[in-house]
Amino acid sequence: MTRDRKTALFPSFQRPVSRVAIRSVASYEQDLLALIYETLCEFDLPIRGKNVLLKPNLVGPDPLGVTNTHPAVIAASRESLLRLGAAQVLIAEGPALDRDTEAILESIGLRHYAGPLSKVFVDLNVDDVEKVLLKTTASRLSELYLPKTVLSADFVISMPKLKTHHWAGVTLSLKNMFGIVPGGCYGWPKNILHWAGIDSAVLDINAAVRPDFAIVDGIVGMQGNGPIQGESKNSGVLILGDDPVAVDATCCRVMGLLPAKVKYLAQAGILLGHIHPDKIQQLGESIASVRTPFSVLDNFKQLVHTSAAFGTQPALVG
Amino acid sequence: MRRCKAGTGCKGMQVQSKRVKVIPGSEDIFAPESSSGARGGVIALPPGQSPSAGFVERVCLPKLRSAQNGDGGWGYRPGSESRVEPTCWVLQALLNVAGMEVSSEACRRGLRFLRSAQLPDGSWPFAAGQQVGCSVTAPACWALLSGESSFQAVAAGLSWLSQDRPRDSVFWRRWLGRLSPARHRSRKNSAYRGWGWNPCTSSWVEPTAVALLVLSRCPKELLPAGANQRRQSAEAMLYDRMCPGGGWNCGDPLVYGVPGKPLVIPTAWALLALRRYPQRTENLVSLDWLERKLPDEQGPGSLALAQICLGAYGHKWPATAKSPEDLYSNHEFLGSTTTMAWVCLAANSRRSWLTGESGETLR
Repeated sequence: MTRDRKTALFPSFQRPVSRVAIRSVASYEQDLLALIYETLCEFDLPIRGKNVLLKPNLVGPDPLGVTNTHPAVIAASRESLLRLGAAQVLIAEGPALDRDTEAILESIGLRHYAGPLSKVFVDLNVDDVEKVLLKTTASRLSELYLPKTVLSADFVISMPKLKTHHWAGVTLSLKNMFGIVPGGCYGWPKNILHWAGIDSAVLDINAAVRPDFAIVDGIVGMQGNGPIQGESKNSGVLILGDDPVAVDATCCRVMGLLPAKVKYLAQAGILLGHIHPDKIQQLGESIASVRTPFSVLDNFKQLVHTSAAFGTQPALVG
Repeated sequence: MRRCKAGTGCKGMQVQSKRVKVIPGSEDIFAPESSSGARGGVIALPPGQSPSAGFVERVCLPKLRSAQNGDGGWGYRPGSESRVEPTCWVLQALLNVAGMEVSSEACRRGLRFLRSAQLPDGSWPFAAGQQVGCSVTAPACWALLSGESSFQAVAAGLSWLSQDRPRDSVFWRRWLGRLSPARHRSRKNSAYRGWGWNPCTSSWVEPTAVALLVLSRCPKELLPAGANQRRQSAEAMLYDRMCPGGGWNCGDPLVYGVPGKPLVIPTAWALLALRRYPQRTENLVSLDWLERKLPDEQGPGSLALAQICLGAYGHKWPATAKSPEDLYSNHEFLGSTTTMAWVCLAANSRRSWLTGESGETLR
């Protein structure tokens, strides 16, 4: 029942213009359901009667709501998709560091937002798996065993948190797909991906299972030594789009970072989507109006945009 | 054939309780030395401190029994494909908690599944179809120690474990690491060699701890050459990876100078693997961290392993901590067979599966 993802790989110049929407959101208490539903309506997603899979970023216990995709965003997205006619909307994640997924779900209170999870949530770390021959060879991995729940979904939505990453620069909708690689085949953490090269593995995973859509929780993000040890950063945005590469590029611009300097993102711009602003139709707020410079570790200072047009420079830390 | 009470029955060692004898050197070498100098023995949780036997009997064991697949194995969830890791833990639960005999139909089929999943090099893969062995080789050996006709399978698995060398501990890799601009990222001493999740990667806390526990349970005659040195290095690796302030996370105690946050599961495994040093400062501060953490813990798998760990150290369960049973109504453990098996093992105050019951083995 694996879906053939023929749309995953072809040169970006053959792709239509991508669409990315930025919405200002003051807090998680705002009416996220209305906002996300209205925004998704603008995209006219082909999800009626389809099985949709939401892939949030759930890294570890996070009572302060800084590390993980906020449950309010997850629940509002799920409800919006159901209202738009999706037959089923699963929430699925394979946390990378803590194998007690239930501890993470409880620490963020997901069931209080999304209801009982036993039939709605899939722990990808322990899902049934299928061998997938990788279409690209950025890493030395020629194959990966990936969860059948992901492979059989009709429509995959990556739902990361807006964060910097101490090894990859940023972790957004493409890097978030690391979470589909099952710990039940590769451990906690999925160390084989680190040895294969994080940037390369990000590319290969997304070439194998390219998300159809992305919803980035940037209401509160994380800067500095992310993805788990950084500082919280109020950036007050949700960023949604039909091209994960374009969404990530837009996120970088909102964070005051140069997408072309993020190694995996620059390469993703060749085969997986658009990073050039001319190929991204911007909806909602302008980037300039929501720009919130994120600090980065010293080893990623080359990512920081130095143009005067960016206004206040992001600070370097570390 | 009768079930080996010590859980160490092997091929060629007739499993008859009358012939049980202690083989010198096969005792639980990791068992803590008491103040009197006596080793190990069965350590019981204080009465009433484990999850209720009723819950295990009423909920967990029936679910585990009914979740066995046609091929004899268990999946991570009922109805999912058989995998090595959940099969190992469910077998431990059935043999040690449900009181099932090795010769029972369910256990025989489960053990047969494990033997059939072994790769030619002696290792076990995470999933069917994978041709490379991995960390589940350790729990597979552990489970097969209970089985009959498993001597060769266990010996081959232990041999593979002894030869599996994480790449980060290889000399040239460490030499290159010293030249890398990323050398300040972490504080780890890669010269210490534990075990990784997959071959040719790095040493991590949980696979190292479980491998150490298996080595501690094995009869001496099954231990491969060099096992002692390997064990010492692995123990040193665990201590090296302890988080500042106690406890363990997956194995990155300090990244860019920021202390990592410990997690319950790796902490429980590490403490179990290091329990023959109960008075070491690292053990004491980690136990203290674990006990302080538990009242906030909301994961049933974490709570179950913590119960096993505290029981092994003779500590009381914190009065304000939940039991796994308390959490069942939240998500029914997400259907996890592994979690249910751990909950069963936590409920059993006899730790023979863990300690080797004072080193009994079979001829």
